[in-house]
Amino acid sequence: MKNVNARKEYDVIVIGGGATGAGTARDCAMRGLSTILIERLDFTAGASGRNHGLLHSGARYAHTDPESAAECIRENIILKRVARHCVEETRGLFVTLPEDGLDYQNAFVDDCRRAGIDAELLEPAEAIRLEPAVNPDIIGAVKVPDGSIDPFRLVTANVLAAQLNGADVLTYHEVTGFVKDGTRICGVELKSRRNGERSTVYGKVVINACGIWGHHVAELAGVKIAMYPAKGSLLIFGHRVNHMVLNRCRKPGDADILVPGDTISVIGTTSTRIPFDEIDRMEVTTGEVDLLLREGVKLSPMLAWTRVLRAYAGVRPLVASDHDPSGRSISRGIVCLDHETRDGLSGFITITGGKLMTYRLMAQDATDMACRKLGVDRPCRTAEVPLPGSEPDARDEERKAHIIELSTEMKAAEGRHGSWTGKIAAGNDADDALVCECEQVSVAECNYAIEELHVNNLINLRRRTRLGMGTCQGELCACRGAGILERHHKCTKRALDDLASFMAERWHGMYPVCWGETLVEAQFTSWLYQGVCGLEKEPPRHEEEMNS
Amino acid sequence: MKYDTIIIGGGLSGLVSGICCQKSGRKTAIISAGQSALHFWSGSFELLCRKGDREVIDRPLSLVDSLSGQHPYRKLGAERTAALLSRVAPLLAEAGINVAGSLERNHYRLTPLGFLKPAWLTLDDYFMLSDPEELKGKRYAIVNILSYLDFYPRFQAYGLGEHGARTVTADVNIPELDILRKSTTEMRATNISRFLTDAAVDRLAKAVNDASKGTDAVIMPAVLGMFSDGPVRRLRSQVERPVYFVATTPASVPGVRCQLALRDYFIRLGGTFMPGDTVVKGERERHRLRRVFTTNFGDMPLEADSFVISTGSFFGHGLVATLESIHEPALGLDLYAPEGREKWYDKDFYAAQPYMGYGVTTDAGFRPAIKGETIENLYATGALLAGFNALKEGSGAGITLATALHAADKITSAL
Amino acid sequence: MMTLQQQNISDNNFESCIKCTICTVYCPVTAVNPDYPGPKQAGPDGERYRLKKPVFYDEALKYCLNCKRCEVACPNNVKIGDIIQSARIKYAKGKPSLRDTMLANTDFMGNMATRMAPLVNFTLGLRPVKYLLDRTMKIDDRRTFPRYASQRFESWFGRHAAASQDSYPHTVSYFHGCYVNYNYPQLGKDLVKVLNALGVGVHLLDGEKCCGVAKIANRCVDEATRDAHTNMKAIREATARGDETVATSSTCCFTLRDEYPHVLRVDNHDVRDHIMLATRLIYRLIDEGKAKVAFRPDYRKRVAYHVPCHMEKLGWTIYSTSLLKMIPGLEFIPLDSHCCGIAGTYGFKKEYYDYSQAIGEPLFRQIRESGCDFVACDCETCKWQIEMSTGVPVENPVSVLAAALDIAKTRELNGVAAIPAVE
Repeated sequence: MKNVNARKEYDVIVIGGGATGAGTARDCAMRGLSTILIERLDFTAGASGRNHGLLHSGARYAHTDPESAAECIRENIILKRVARHCVEETRGLFVTLPEDGLDYQNAFVDDCRRAGIDAELLEPAEAIRLEPAVNPDIIGAVKVPDGSIDPFRLVTANVLAAQLNGADVLTYHEVTGFVKDGTRICGVELKSRRNGERSTVYGKVVINACGIWGHHVAELAGVKIAMYPAKGSLLIFGHRVNHMVLNRCRKPGDADILVPGDTISVIGTTSTRIPFDEIDRMEVTTGEVDLLLREGVKLSPMLAWTRVLRAYAGVRPLVASDHDPSGRSISRGIVCLDHETRDGLSGFITITGGKLMTYRLMAQDATDMACRKLGVDRPCRTAEVPLPGSEPDARDEERKAHIIELSTEMKAAEGRHGSWTGKIAAGNDADDALVCECEQVSVAECNYAIEELHVNNLINLRRRTRLGMGTCQGELCACRGAGILERHHKCTKRALDDLASFMAERWHGMYPVCWGETLVEAQFTSWLYQGVCGLEKEPPRHEEEMNS
Repeated sequence: MKYDTIIIGGGLSGLVSGICCQKSGRKTAIISAGQSALHFWSGSFELLCRKGDREVIDRPLSLVDSLSGQHPYRKLGAERTAALLSRVAPLLAEAGINVAGSLERNHYRLTPLGFLKPAWLTLDDYFMLSDPEELKGKRYAIVNILSYLDFYPRFQAYGLGEHGARTVTADVNIPELDILRKSTTEMRATNISRFLTDAAVDRLAKAVNDASKGTDAVIMPAVLGMFSDGPVRRLRSQVERPVYFVATTPASVPGVRCQLALRDYFIRLGGTFMPGDTVVKGERERHRLRRVFTTNFGDMPLEADSFVISTGSFFGHGLVATLESIHEPALGLDLYAPEGREKWYDKDFYAAQPYMGYGVTTDAGFRPAIKGETIENLYATGALLAGFNALKEGSGAGITLATALHAADKITSAL
Repeated sequence: MMTLQQQNISDNNFESCIKCTICTVYCPVTAVNPDYPGPKQAGPDGERYRLKKPVFYDEALKYCLNCKRCEVACPNNVKIGDIIQSARIKYAKGKPSLRDTMLANTDFMGNMATRMAPLVNFTLGLRPVKYLLDRTMKIDDRRTFPRYASQRFESWFGRHAAASQDSYPHTVSYFHGCYVNYNYPQLGKDLVKVLNALGVGVHLLDGEKCCGVAKIANRCVDEATRDAHTNMKAIREATARGDETVATSSTCCFTLRDEYPHVLRVDNHDVRDHIMLATRLIYRLIDEGKAKVAFRPDYRKRVAYHVPCHMEKLGWTIYSTSLLKMIPGLEFIPLDSHCCGIAGTYGFKKEYYDYSQAIGEPLFRQIRESGCDFVACDCETCKWQIEMSTGVPVENPVSVLAAALDIAKTRELNGVAAIPAVE
């Protein structure tokens, strides 16, 4: 996977392997720009992989921010088409609880319709019939075209698309500085997070798509963007409690969205400003867990007795409006900064703000700007061309007709890789064996991910396949996964260290919710890995992040 | 229904107490809520393997006096602990489980990840070493069953290689296992062992011989002999080199075998084993437990003169944690377990986790209390006890066995 | 917060699974059939995916015997068997076949067959008929059919026993089940004899229907649920008049107590504790000194006791074995607790017959080697399987008691000698 050419001068260097960066790399590559995507850790390691996974309909913003709402619903429709293997059209409900009152709902439906969102007022009884998990005490309900979107799959697909269009990709490389020619940026200096090696990559335009980390990257380039990290904590429940997205129909607040994502449900979020030194090691506090549970139960009482698998937190980049030096006024929506006009630094663009939902639009804005700088005039096609895995497939209908005959793990893989599932070399008994039994990940799927999807370690493998994301949080599969990775990269020491890190990373999300069966699981896992297997300490950490 | 002794918990601790009580002629029943933690046994018992960050090899019992006052070994004292534990190997042998090891010196076992770790007793056909130095220059064949995922030979190879051994690794297959491989999930050690009998063992032996040419010994995952040691003996008699086993991740074949052997021995002695039942409450008469109610027996409680509770830690549901607090669910025994779940854990997975040290508090004679009142005819044993971190100390089995034997002694001598 | 996260209950029970894999060690099917995904995968793991999308339902769940040995083994009290049976009911495609419907309707078939029992027994024993059933209905021709009785137990009871029952100081109600009614009324007669001797009169339940275990296994859920409601109504009436309800079949008893609420969702919490196995009631009477027993001095038997799967799940083996051990002339041989493989109607089906016999083989071997005079066991389908596969006769412990008790003396001891005994 050494797909980088150090001598070459790229048209565009995209920094940041989240949705925005990967989307930007894809857009640039599709417009014929020679592109490299650089990520300091793994794809989706930042905020892109630490949110609800909600495919907003825009309804959430219909009242407060009609412009964002309209953007959301447009992107919602686009993503259902171009990223269909990452999306589930679950639909969503905005429900009114007795404590909230019906005032908000009354204006809400009109606000939605004005923004172009298909909102349908339901009788509470009808809503309960559609979604039996919802609180039966609701006094109002509105159905909207919310859905769920898997950010891991989405980002992987964007990376694959970028590569298919000729882009290079470099993970575990941190930008340590910029190469400047006067007031022009002409490259980035890199340090490998794996072996500390330093290198330089040259390019005509550098796009900073690093989310909150973009604050620091801009500083390295010598420009100042006033960003504020806001932590949002979420809880993952052990199975799919609800089948439609459940939202509180009120002014957006804490813990008011419950999203069904793949095999689980996610409640969130909280919102707390945190200092920059915490963004690489966020903790979910006991108070946040209690709040999420207390509020979550109001949306769906079943959460009161559903196992909580883990807690995690993401960090939103709040960007201060350029017109307000105090930093109190936060920009809404997408912020695309041309540092040439803003700061007199040419060849440097920052794309930030926005949300997962609008990643494609953000990528389009940034790519438009890069094209203008490079004098390239090619239209954006990311809204029309399906992502890898979402292409229409001649065998689609046939596959749908026969899905019932597929093995469970192939059905699961089908959900994860869409029309690319055929690349998994399934069909022989040894490779069909499950590595992760909770999430139905086979040896063949692991092999495919390791060979094709930029997998260096177990955490990467987890993001590409869901290995270790299930009920047992790696207890059963981590050992097996480590063996399979070793078979590929042939370094036993590295595989054992990786295993030790992986178990530590799993624990980081478990301890905030460590009671009941989660504590039983933790004790069992510790006995097994530390006791029976003798894994005793975490190796020094060079490679991987440790955020919740 | 009336017994002399009722033991709540059918794992290692409960079975050992039960066997001793029954052997002394007491009518004994064991109530077991599901299968026990023995099912993930490594094939080795640990007595005391670590003190702080230091591995303990020589005279582990000499450290007993330096342990905290609440530590079960300390309560027993080094001498009594030694006396109790010296009875373990003969008792296991009576049940058909043969182990090797000494109280004077720990040996090393080989883990499924290829690490060498101290141990006190190890199954006699499992890999053990008195000194890693012995590995220098030795040549091992590490042989796995094709596509069995819970054992990865290169981990063993690396671990042994670090100590100077030379290794070859191989995956072998025999046609008898092809049918099992058709299942995507059931290629587990315990299931493989069902297929490795009779002629299949002979074929496996041949494959192992072919894969281990030019080596001094063979290391294999423990995938045979779940119900008897017959297949193991058969294999060893045909393989041209010594064969040593290494336990795998669960369910562990030696674990199941040990559990069943002890249970069967208890039943052969005339004991009553009640599987799949849970004690839901106890009824006291003054300071004595008179009878216990269970899920299955409903309104017909089980009476006894003396009781042992060995329900384990969180894994065995001897302790239950809710959002706010930790309790002992069967009898409501007094615990050491602070309220406030932030106190229960350490953020470092590999640090000593406070929750591991929680459990039932007892007097010096291992009698627990309810609301401060000691129950005179009840003994708590094994992982349910407070006062030690079995995982960090490497002391779980030793404490379990010592306290189980001690409780049985108390009960039988009180006759 | 006190109400939050106290426990994982009811429908979420599958989440208590911590993936320890212990259940897979004790599943009798996994050991012989690689097409079965095993209890962990079929139960809690699969349930999570089925909740995501029903398309994840795997038809191979039909191989589950519903023996519940996984549940007995589970350290976390996960209702693995219930999860699997519920999933079959909820998701399996297609209606039950004619064969399955016939096998499921033990009461209907029994009702028809007893009317012309000699003919039916003769016919079902004929090779050409078995061949035909095998080829057309996929009922395995190697299977021996239970014989049908020419007089139903209910008819016998009404004619010979009913009148005197209220003369006894206590009464119970008897859930006899289809087997006693249609195939083997002698067991019912033995129960009446034993209970009467202990001073207990026997009532029948009003309008008893099949417990439904075969209907559940064959996914005839609507009928099973309807019958369950009828049975619960009758049991409630019995309870209201002060009767405990007893069964001689461990499977009927288990179904009434546990499958009703867990699988059929028929609530029985108000009377569940009053439904029990006859041996539990008898043991209790003796243990509490409420009844006395006298055994025949000439009774001499070597008896091996087999633990039926649902008996293991009930946890009541001790009552039956304790009673057997009370018999002075009885040499008790415990058998390993091991599934016999028949699982009700499962072993009748051609596609399962070989698995069924393979599962039971270790048990058959142990029985053959035991040198027992007969096997005692509380389940009728185990009886068919063991008798067919080993040639060793099988008796219910209640029948063993009936043969071993000195009935006249026992009646005297319990002060009921004056009441005319049922013949």
